[in-house]
Amino acid sequence: MSDERPQILLVEDNEVNRNMLIRRLERAGHAVLTAADGETALEVMRAASPGVVLMDMNLPIKDGWTACREAQADPAISDIPIIALTAHAMEEDKVRALEAGCADFATKPVDFPALLKVIAAALDANT
Amino acid sequence: MRTPDVMTQLRPRLSLRGRLYLFSGAILILFAINVATSLWGSFARNESSLAYQEAVTAAQLTAELAQNLQNKRQQVLVLATLRETTDEPLEDSRLDQAETDLDIIAERLRQLGSYGGEGLEAYYRRLHESTTTLIAQWRQFYERYNQAGPTPPVEDARSYSNAQQRLQELDQRQSFLAVQRANAIDRTITLTDQITIIGFISSIAITLALVFAMIRSTNASLTRMKTGVERFGSGDLTYRIDEQRDSGEIGDLARTFNEMSIKLQTAIEEMNTARADADSANAAKSMFLANVSHELRTPLNAIIGYSEMLQDELGDETEINREQFHHDLNTIIFSGKQLLTLINDILDLSKIETGKMQVSLEVFNPAPLLVQVCDALSPLLAQNGNKLVLDIDKKSMRDMESDRGKLQQIVTNLFSNACKFTKDGKITVSAVMDHQSLTVTVADTGIGMTEAQQARVFEAFIQAEANTGLKYGGTGLGLAIVREFCTMLGGSIEVESQPNEGARFRVRLPAAPA
Repeated sequence: MSDERPQILLVEDNEVNRNMLIRRLERAGHAVLTAADGETALEVMRAASPGVVLMDMNLPIKDGWTACREAQADPAISDIPIIALTAHAMEEDKVRALEAGCADFATKPVDFPALLKVIAAALDANT
Repeated sequence: MRTPDVMTQLRPRLSLRGRLYLFSGAILILFAINVATSLWGSFARNESSLAYQEAVTAAQLTAELAQNLQNKRQQVLVLATLRETTDEPLEDSRLDQAETDLDIIAERLRQLGSYGGEGLEAYYRRLHESTTTLIAQWRQFYERYNQAGPTPPVEDARSYSNAQQRLQELDQRQSFLAVQRANAIDRTITLTDQITIIGFISSIAITLALVFAMIRSTNASLTRMKTGVERFGSGDLTYRIDEQRDSGEIGDLARTFNEMSIKLQTAIEEMNTARADADSANAAKSMFLANVSHELRTPLNAIIGYSEMLQDELGDETEINREQFHHDLNTIIFSGKQLLTLINDILDLSKIETGKMQVSLEVFNPAPLLVQVCDALSPLLAQNGNKLVLDIDKKSMRDMESDRGKLQQIVTNLFSNACKFTKDGKITVSAVMDHQSLTVTVADTGIGMTEAQQARVFEAFIQAEANTGLKYGGTGLGLAIVREFCTMLGGSIEVESQPNEGARFRVRLPAAPA
């Protein structure tokens, strides 16, 4: 994996979906880090400072909304954009995610070309 | 000390009709009193006028009597002088005339007697005595006039002046008594006039007071009614009118109103409860829809994602890793089956709710069925690193008549729940039969539940925690279906659990010997 490519942190507790997204993102040319819960996700963000985070919201140990809020409150990682990626597809779920501090919101099943554009936009905005 | 209760008891409680009767009666009594004093006054006036007439008549009679006596005496004195000088006898007619005159005088005297009265009797007796004597002497004079001899004496010395003096005394006495009586009657008239005026004025005052009291008391009763209706109407459903404050019609009205209030309150409360139930059912359905949407999307994400990915990889024209490809297809199939289970659960529950779920009875031995279910679910067991302990008391197992498919689904749902909520633990499925029932127990060493969660865990669309479905999957339908099936088969289900110490679901189904 090239260190020059911006890294993506994929936070997903469902193994099947995690493996699928890793393969597709790597195939699209991204370096992918993973975490299976919110607590680990925050640790990885602090340690590796990824360019963008794709975050499932229903996570064990610490859920996505809490993790988002804690990331926002930590100056060291508050500038890392977080994209909520969730099967909660209602309008109020989007509002809830954005209120927790997510930069953007994408639903499952994933529209992959659209997700790549959202990731690109988030990375652009961050650099 | 008077307590408010005693005060209330002391307050006269009259019905509206009673108040009206009392009011009318009081006014009639006042009216009668006024009429009586007025009659008394007019009677006194009458008396006064009678007394006056009497006094005048008596005075007249006295004056006439005095005049008669004086005239008669002059005649007698003239006759006596005549007899002295002429000695000429008196004609019979003149004698008769004199007789008549004396009779008239005697009659006048008698008439005067009838105007007696207690205070006058003595005076009248003295007058009567002296006048009768005088008249008798005059009669004697006339009788002896034509007889030979000296001129008869006219009268005894002082007889006439005696009679005149008595007459004067009677007259004075009469005047005095008349004045006295007039004064007494005047006082009575003044008194009755005063009583009439006072009675009239106090009648007006008492009538006004009664009217005021009646208006006030009736108004207070009506105001209590009005307040009650207003308070109740503005939503204070527990407000009741004080029934003890009024009796009769208004009390009845208050009681009727209160009875109506109780019925309305009950109806409104029932309506509110029904609405709250409907709202909460709606909220539960919305929640359920959100959960279903989430649950459908999770396997769909895998199905669509893997399919698109494989399509992309096929387009790369690199060599296919057959093993990887096989695994990916399996993932798609597994997700598809998960989706199917979910849809079936929803359909099952819908059937149960609409009463279309059928029970199909057959005779079977439950032991092989239980083993089969556990075998089929071994992939699920492995997913969270759990171990299975299968403890079937084969000696007690025999054929039973029940619904095989439903028993299978009951055990499947309980088993997959146990797998879902337990990680790296132990799941024990045990079964035992007595002469009446089959008992199947599914116990795990997973996250467990609080008592509040246990109380609701069998309700449809409810999971132990609002976001349990999000964490552990499932729509909260599995246990609802299990309970419905247990009920349909004539059995029961119960749960024992403590947070972080696992859960134990025990199903009992009737299994009478065939």
